Amino acid sequence: MKLSEILVAERVSSGTSVTSKKKALEELSALLAKGAEALAPGDVFNSLTGREKLGSTGLGHGVAIPHGRMAGVPSSVGAFMRLKHPVDYDAHDGNPVDLVFGLLVPQAATEAHLKHLAAIAEMFSDEEFCAKLRAAPDDRALYSLLAGYTAA
Amino acid sequence: MEIANHLILVAGLLFILSILASVLSPRLGVPVLLVFLIIGMLAGEDGPGGLDFHDFSLANLAGTAALAVVLFDGGMRTRMATFRVGLRPAVSLATVGVFVTASIVGAFAAWVLDLPLLEGLLLGAIVGSTDAAAVFSLLHSNAVHLNERVTSALEIESGTNDPMAVFLTLGLLEYLSAPADYVWYEAIVFLVQQMGLGVLIGIYGGRALVWSLNRLNLSDSLYPLMALFSGLLIFGLTASLHGSGFLAVYLAGIVLGNRRVRAFGGIRRFHDGVAWTSQIGMFVILGLLVTPSKLLPLAIPGLLISLVLILVARPLAVALALAPFRFPLREQGYIAWVGLRGSVPIVLATFPWLAGIDNAGLIFNVAFFIVLVSLVVQGWSVGPMARLLGLQMPATTALVHRSDFDLPGTRGYEIVSYLIGENSPLIGLKSKALPIDDTSRIVCIARRGKVISYREWGTLRAGDYIAMLAKEDELPKLDEVFRADHVAPKLEAAATRFFGEFNIDIKAPAMALSDAYGLDLPESARDRTVVEFFRSVIPRPVVGDRLRLGDMELVVKKMDNDRIIEIGLRLPH
Repeated sequence: MKLSEILVAERVSSGTSVTSKKKALEELSALLAKGAEALAPGDVFNSLTGREKLGSTGLGHGVAIPHGRMAGVPSSVGAFMRLKHPVDYDAHDGNPVDLVFGLLVPQAATEAHLKHLAAIAEMFSDEEFCAKLRAAPDDRALYSLLAGYTAA
Repeated sequence: MEIANHLILVAGLLFILSILASVLSPRLGVPVLLVFLIIGMLAGEDGPGGLDFHDFSLANLAGTAALAVVLFDGGMRTRMATFRVGLRPAVSLATVGVFVTASIVGAFAAWVLDLPLLEGLLLGAIVGSTDAAAVFSLLHSNAVHLNERVTSALEIESGTNDPMAVFLTLGLLEYLSAPADYVWYEAIVFLVQQMGLGVLIGIYGGRALVWSLNRLNLSDSLYPLMALFSGLLIFGLTASLHGSGFLAVYLAGIVLGNRRVRAFGGIRRFHDGVAWTSQIGMFVILGLLVTPSKLLPLAIPGLLISLVLILVARPLAVALALAPFRFPLREQGYIAWVGLRGSVPIVLATFPWLAGIDNAGLIFNVAFFIVLVSLVVQGWSVGPMARLLGLQMPATTALVHRSDFDLPGTRGYEIVSYLIGENSPLIGLKSKALPIDDTSRIVCIARRGKVISYREWGTLRAGDYIAMLAKEDELPKLDEVFRADHVAPKLEAAATRFFGEFNIDIKAPAMALSDAYGLDLPESARDRTVVEFFRSVIPRPVVGDRLRLGDMELVVKKMDNDRIIEIGLRLPH
């Protein structure tokens, strides 16, 4: 999977400043809602927080991949935020999170959608790649890193 | 005098050769016990060594004593917690399993070798039990990591099934030597006596040993000796009263290993060494005892019997013995495959010789041949088979460089020392910033071979050794903190692939899964938490157990005794 299929430059943000997990998810919902016409940020937020009730989507090493199913999403929508200050995210390794990738999949989530999620999780488990993301100077650099990623 | 000198020379030489050869064994992938056996055979009459050794009673004595020591040591390493999942299946394997294996192999051997049925069954009984030494050394090597259900079943089985094989062998021998006087219920009395005395003397003897170790004031070096000879005493006492000494000494080892005992670190290390000595000695002597040229004519029937044992008798016995416990099929298959035979059959095969049975020579040689085939075929393939059946678990603690020292005058405390690895995440941290409970427990830090004073500690550097005072039950946590991290990313990736990407909150309602992923959960999931739902499908879970839900899997990540404390969600790849 190429990330450029689900991610566009306008849904990548490099300097988001938030103080809590909830605020981070709100910001992310606003970004994601840009991805499809019928989406309201509030509904996206509800979907994401619904998933978080099942357990934190923090992967460890400061990365989280909040995700949810949404009616009105024709195909997977991604968004990415780099937080200025890491926030506590209840991740299992206890580390605060500063890299957040959000993913919305259609209501009838199929195996293919879950595989997208797995591929994204694998991408963010590459610590060298995460170091590059943390060092990228601006939105554009972040986007080209994400869109140009090929598995090692 | 000349003879004594020569004997010491030969013994020293054989031990040194065996110790050196053990370096080769992991590279060749052969079980190290097989290497010892082959060294014995090479030293024997048909090999370059040319030693003519035919003393069956000496071999019997050496083998029995060595086996007692190996079982004692194995018992000490068996965590009582593994009994939770392993005890009942293992006991079933050790009784029903051995009986079924012995009957099938025995009947087939009688037919192939053209022996009277009872002598065939005698052979079956001799090769009926799996070998503790072989199974322990396999399970504690780094080649295979299996889940607790399989490990504990195999381990406890191999520790407890020798009494059954001994019972069947001795019972048949008694009948064969005097068929006219034999009354059938004597056999039952004999069995009850063997098992009953074994259990009683083993457990109470073990407790008495713990009690005396904790109360006696001995010189430090004498605690391990006290333990070793108490183990032998327990074996001897039980066996003299016609109980099962093997069972008793194994149980005593378990009691000793699972209680707080003074100087236990030293006792464990000492027994590690003694168990190695016993294994080398036993296998070399048994290798010496056999005449390899006499094995050749038996190759075809021997091979046939081995195949029946490995491919028919053992799988059937495992299936029957495990039927009440609902083991997953792949795990049953693996347990069937790891029916390693070892020293026990060879030691048992000396009994018919000592009893003067006509076909004793044939029975000994065939039993020896079967052990060889089992060690080669099964010993060689335990790792690949675990991978083939998808039972290999990711390694977790293999990379810790830890050494421990006892703390005199205390129980349950140790001083442990860790090496800070090249890429350890702890490098650059001050001692106060280390993620451990109580920094005052740091005893010293050694840098470039020197212990440095507290004021010069500064920040940790690669190559530092850090020594700490720790409670025994804190060790797993410390191991995690001080994991040598230069290969960790790879390990972590393997763990993620196995246990899943996300952690699931164990208190989350199961229906939240179907909300988040559109899964069709059965009615039984309603009003249950994720863990409760998991347990309603898999009632006795162990770490690594998985429950398939649509395209995803729930995987048990961590358990605290009987409780699931971490559960992972594995996405399809």
